[in-house]
Amino acid sequence: MKILIVDDEQPARTRLRGMLQQLNDCEVVAEAANGKQALEASQTYQPDLVLLDIRMPGMDGLEAAEHLSKMDAPPAIIFTTAYNDYALSAFKTHAVDYLLKPVRKENLLQAISAATRLNRAQLQAIGEAETEHTEPTHISARVKGNIQLIPVNTIHFFLAEHKYVTVGYVDGEVLIEDSLLTLEQRFPRHFMRVHRNALVAIDHIAALEKDNQGRCHIRLKDCDKVLEVSRRHLPDIRKFMKR
Amino acid sequence: MRLKRSTTKCDDLFLPDFCAMRMVFVVVIIAQLAAFVLALAPLDIPLAQRWNNLGMISLYVQWCALGSCTVLCIVRPWLCGMTNIQAGIISYLLILLVIVLITELAYWLIYKPGYEASQTWHIHFLLRNVVIGAIISGPILRYFYVQNQWRRNIQAESEARLQALQSRIRPHFLFNSMNTIASLIPAEPQQAEDAVENLADLFRASLSDARNLIPLSEELELCHRYLDIEALRLGERLQQKWNIDTLPRDALVPPLLIQPLLENAIYHGIEPLTEGGTIEVTGQLENKKIAITIRNPLNHNSGQQIARGNQLAHDNIRERLTALHGKQGSLQIEANEHSYQVTIRFPYQNEYEDPDRR
Repeated sequence: MKILIVDDEQPARTRLRGMLQQLNDCEVVAEAANGKQALEASQTYQPDLVLLDIRMPGMDGLEAAEHLSKMDAPPAIIFTTAYNDYALSAFKTHAVDYLLKPVRKENLLQAISAATRLNRAQLQAIGEAETEHTEPTHISARVKGNIQLIPVNTIHFFLAEHKYVTVGYVDGEVLIEDSLLTLEQRFPRHFMRVHRNALVAIDHIAALEKDNQGRCHIRLKDCDKVLEVSRRHLPDIRKFMKR
Repeated sequence: MRLKRSTTKCDDLFLPDFCAMRMVFVVVIIAQLAAFVLALAPLDIPLAQRWNNLGMISLYVQWCALGSCTVLCIVRPWLCGMTNIQAGIISYLLILLVIVLITELAYWLIYKPGYEASQTWHIHFLLRNVVIGAIISGPILRYFYVQNQWRRNIQAESEARLQALQSRIRPHFLFNSMNTIASLIPAEPQQAEDAVENLADLFRASLSDARNLIPLSEELELCHRYLDIEALRLGERLQQKWNIDTLPRDALVPPLLIQPLLENAIYHGIEPLTEGGTIEVTGQLENKKIAITIRNPLNHNSGQQIARGNQLAHDNIRERLTALHGKQGSLQIEANEHSYQVTIRFPYQNEYEDPDRR
């Protein structure tokens, strides 16, 4: 069994590696110090199981798990955590495997033999209960079978077209399957609804303009795209621009 | 080394210490007010006569008052072992005795040589003075008793508050440290041993009596022990910069006054940063006031989280400072996009204040 260890603390990783080495059929293929590295390592080494710390800098374990679950062959995930009473009850109710640090060998063995793949519903439920869970730092898109991560602060807009949502960001455009409504709810501080089919990054708004037919548009910084503003959302945007 | 708030053995006695200058002064004031009342009370006396009377009455009343003070000061050690009721009755009787003695003295020294006074006049004079003295000194003793009860309530309340506010170390830190120690045992037993010793010191401090104050040097030592443990876990990610040379090491502080601020700085400042950062501790003494600032870098994505998570520890420290120093103790927060800093200020104090003189 190929295993990936993810924890931002070196001693914690060393300990897990030491314990796993004593088990049969377990091979630690890589270690990662945060969620982003975990995702990269997962794509490179295709582990069967990821031991994932929850509280990590950059991208935390819950967000990493969510991106991992989009992979073609997602690994099984066991969360490790030192202490967090709120989240633990959520883990229990949703039958998600977790280990408390310092991890006991017998618990580790048990968890490995029982490890299953997580589904999105489980992850979402935990994310809601995990009080310290911050807004995700990345959006993940599948590009040619790989997971591509797009940092949220490089995104200019989301535009819904047919079944997909186009993400406009620094390096171009990419399609994702999430709905605009979910995106709006997950990033209330970063994005603003300007039209039934569009969200705009608040930090990237350059100007609100009116054309000679009386329609309003939003011009973005560092991006040629001009987005139409619907009459319904105009008052909110005006109010926001005045601030 | 621990310093316990100095407690006189007589803490339970309701009577204040009449040997203290302040109490003598209070008694003199009360006596003089009584003398005014006695001089004003009789009707149909010419003003000049009234002034004359006031002089005599004051002299007499002050003698009684200071005499009682002296007696109560002398018998205080003896009253200490008694219940409040016993001590109350005995001190009341002693005051009356002093009044009898002074009245007799006044009669034999002043009246007898100057005036022709009858035996009945002598008895009336004595009885009248004792009754007036009894009526005045009773409520005064009662007043001291009520005031004493009130002060003890206040003290009990503030001690209870201090204890409730006692700093607690985050469970998160405990379990992370345990995990670190578990991983160090096979490879680095010496480091593991040090970590266990440091952890023991920290928990001893957090379980100690919250009313005890410790010298700043000891608190700083605890801070270093705490940071040593965190450094094992965070490695290169945790950098420190100390600039506290001018801080008086003998200043008294409640235990774990500064450590929770460092814990916050690590939990909210260093841990969320992939590259880590530097915690800066600056301290200075100015105009007998100590100011200590703890500053940490900030991951601006988690700005909102910071405010919420920090709140508890900050409120706690602020309340402990106010409980100890009143308005002179403060905690101030300054934050911008990239850094977060907390400053605590409190008066420099290197010995316990006598609670009676506060």
